[in-house]
Amino acid sequence: MTLLEPDALLSPLHTALKASRLDEADLWVHRRRAAVTRYSHSSIHQNAVSDETHVHARAIVGSAIGATSGNSLEADALRELLAGAAELAMVQRPNVDWPGLATGADHREPIAFDAATARLGAADQATAIATICEAVDTAGFRAAGTHSVDITEDAVANTNGVSAYAPATVAYLRALVLGEHGGSGYADDLSHRAAELDPAAIASRAIEKCALDRDRTQLAPGDYEAVFEEDAVAEILRIMSITGLSGQAVREGRSFLAGVIGQPVTGPKFTLHDDALHPGQLAIPFDPEGTPKQRVALVERGVAKGPVYDRWSAKAAGAASTGHAVDPGRYGHGGHAGNLVMAGGTATRDELIGAVTRGILITRFHYTNTPDPKRATMTGTTRDGTFLIENGRITRALANVRYTMSALDLFGGIDLLGPQRLVRDWWSTNGMGSIVCLAPAMKVSRATITGSSPA
Amino acid sequence: MLEDSRLRNAVEWATASGTSYADARYVERESETVSVKDGQVEGLDRDRDRGVGVRVLHKGSWGFAASDRITGESVVVPLFEQAIARAEAAATVQRRQVVLAPQEPQRGEYRTRLRRDPFAVPVKERVDLLRGADAILATPNAKVRRVSVASYRTRKRLVTSDGTDVRQEIVECGAGLNVTAAAAGTSPATRNDMRNVRQAGWEYVEEFDVLAHARTFARDVEAVLAAKPAVEKPTTLLIDQPFLALLVHESCGHPTESDRVLEHEVAFAGTTFMWPRDRGTLRYGSEHVSMTADATIPGGLGTFGWDDDGVPATRTPLIERGIFTGYLSSRETAGALGLSRSGACARAEGWQHFPIVRMVNVSLEPGPATYGELLRGIDDGLLLQSPASYSLDDKRQNFHFSTQVARVIRNGEVGEYVRGVAFQSLTPDFWGSCDGVADDWELHGFVSCAKGEPLQLMRVGHGAAHARFRERPIEVRV
Repeated sequence: MTLLEPDALLSPLHTALKASRLDEADLWVHRRRAAVTRYSHSSIHQNAVSDETHVHARAIVGSAIGATSGNSLEADALRELLAGAAELAMVQRPNVDWPGLATGADHREPIAFDAATARLGAADQATAIATICEAVDTAGFRAAGTHSVDITEDAVANTNGVSAYAPATVAYLRALVLGEHGGSGYADDLSHRAAELDPAAIASRAIEKCALDRDRTQLAPGDYEAVFEEDAVAEILRIMSITGLSGQAVREGRSFLAGVIGQPVTGPKFTLHDDALHPGQLAIPFDPEGTPKQRVALVERGVAKGPVYDRWSAKAAGAASTGHAVDPGRYGHGGHAGNLVMAGGTATRDELIGAVTRGILITRFHYTNTPDPKRATMTGTTRDGTFLIENGRITRALANVRYTMSALDLFGGIDLLGPQRLVRDWWSTNGMGSIVCLAPAMKVSRATITGSSPA
Repeated sequence: MLEDSRLRNAVEWATASGTSYADARYVERESETVSVKDGQVEGLDRDRDRGVGVRVLHKGSWGFAASDRITGESVVVPLFEQAIARAEAAATVQRRQVVLAPQEPQRGEYRTRLRRDPFAVPVKERVDLLRGADAILATPNAKVRRVSVASYRTRKRLVTSDGTDVRQEIVECGAGLNVTAAAAGTSPATRNDMRNVRQAGWEYVEEFDVLAHARTFARDVEAVLAAKPAVEKPTTLLIDQPFLALLVHESCGHPTESDRVLEHEVAFAGTTFMWPRDRGTLRYGSEHVSMTADATIPGGLGTFGWDDDGVPATRTPLIERGIFTGYLSSRETAGALGLSRSGACARAEGWQHFPIVRMVNVSLEPGPATYGELLRGIDDGLLLQSPASYSLDDKRQNFHFSTQVARVIRNGEVGEYVRGVAFQSLTPDFWGSCDGVADDWELHGFVSCAKGEPLQLMRVGHGAAHARFRERPIEVRV
């Protein structure tokens, strides 16, 4: 995909808005090139590239809203989108909840774009995968995984003078190593710079786990000390985000934050922000409504601080938008905390494991869900590296276990924290979710295991 | 591109360039969604897109490229150039070459039969219907209400180097309802169902009867809010069709996807516990349990003329009287597994994605008993209606479901509501405890089965009838 750059992308939007003669309207454009190479049995089985453009138009007529979307930036297409949105608005009654369009405001310069990553080709992706496959083959195992490179451009323009543009890149490499003995090990890297993906190190980490994962035994249900690696922590944070961190969820009483702002909700070692401006995050500096993104304290030292807002939920709460609108077609109105930063510590992996008398190490989860959203309770099974820890050492492999516990209770039991790493939960690795976390590994005093898969 | 020669010319160019197989797929999609939330029209959205995706098999590897910038005469050939470059790169990391199961060339056209075009229904009629349902859902303790109707139309054409050239126009529509009620001192109660979508015209929404469903949901959500916790003990479960449709999807549909056997999805979606060596011997469930994949069922979201390999729709038994017998397959996976032909399950979400193995209409076959007969056979049990939370492991062998509505069954009669029922099980244990399936089979439609990298959301259908399961351990969380 050739980057259009700000002038070429924004100019047709402003022209179309002006020609529409609408008093209130906006256009949000998301362009994306996704280059995805997937491999299994140490062989590439899918190698795809796709260029997509999404254009979203809203027209507001007397506070009634119509919305259309399409995939062309041609002048005629933009004109039709806005006219269609106005036509839909005109058949509606006024919406008393309409918060109005964003007004022009400066946003920070985008920093999550890397030109070298944008130039990466299919051969480069294959080379990274070949590095992993060679190492895994040498170890006597087989490899599967994904190398993806996304190049995006976002632009927002509206009749209030908003004019925002940001490019971004996302590079991702993961390896699942499998052995004939039934074991598996997993590792991944995520960055906006492809150069920061380290295929050899990923292979090494995954091979080490796969080699350890043999002769599994089942763990009886109960409460255990536990070490959660970063990918596993991201899964817990996702559940907190989707159940409790939006202004809409707080307003509707569905959130664990509802009615307890300023009160302790977890232990003092847990601090969480949403911070799209963090230099280690993957984000653009404004939302689809055109509001600059802000750093928001969600929980500080265990005390509830507040949710994130888009313009809808902010109006309802008597607050200002924090720049957390997302594609309403995917999440609806209300705000979405998608750039989570959890405070970390300095403990090494060995120190985390060394602090466990008898407990469990969890690498990552699969297909989690929440049977009790109000408590941010998550249930899900572990995969690709679940081990028993005894007296500070990994002593044997475990069959995958089902974990079911409130995130508030889990984070209330933090004993030790490691340094942060850029990770995504299982759902967000393929785009089903859209949350990126700077999260530490952690050792907790209690994790509730409610079942086990066969050994 | 639905009618002109650009796709065919480009496929011929790809063939002349040395590829062993090539196809070009043009897709245009439109949708309209109207939603009302808490009495306000929340969204009135119209979405359209169109584009082309091309595939090549070159040096034994796949390459795929897609774009929505398709104006002009020669827009498809550059896509084939990109696809060939991707295949060249893939061939440098190759242990086994792709071999396609055979398929005769196909020609023709498939169109959804419909009585009333849902896109032609006046917006006011749709909004009035939703406002009526919203008013019914406004119970004393309702905190959040949302109702919606959606219409979808897909036109596509597939041209392959094997001589296939097929066109399809598929129309789908449906309705969704959601209400959450809350009161002090208890956790919120939610009643929703977003899986009432069919390949049909607006007549389906009329037959579905949104207002009647709203009345049921309003009654249920208040009753659940006021209900006492269930008693945690092993018990007999009678499970309704919407709940079983999802259970079939998660515990049979996904593990019989043959690309999971080949480990194409192992790093993300996972694998299976149903391996080729198990076909014909693995006891998946009791003798009452038979499941099929059938892309020919009228009205199903997994119904079509041809899949995106150009294979005509077909019916494949997956579970026969409790024994695992078949897979969902594509030309590629059928070739790799030595199957005689593809099961016509290769589908892509839109033009921008590579076709992968997807469910079609995967259903629990009806049994001989009536619902009343199953009910009367329960002295002490629970009726479970519609799933709430659900979670599966990477082999689809270990699952956890909670329910929106649970009602006590005592001496063959449905009684009071109870709260907090969930259960976890291993898949064969659960289906093995089934001692009866009713004859009240009905079809459900899921619009967003998620799979693949990047994410592809697929529309799939699932039929189910009430079924009874003995001695199931339950959890109660309130």
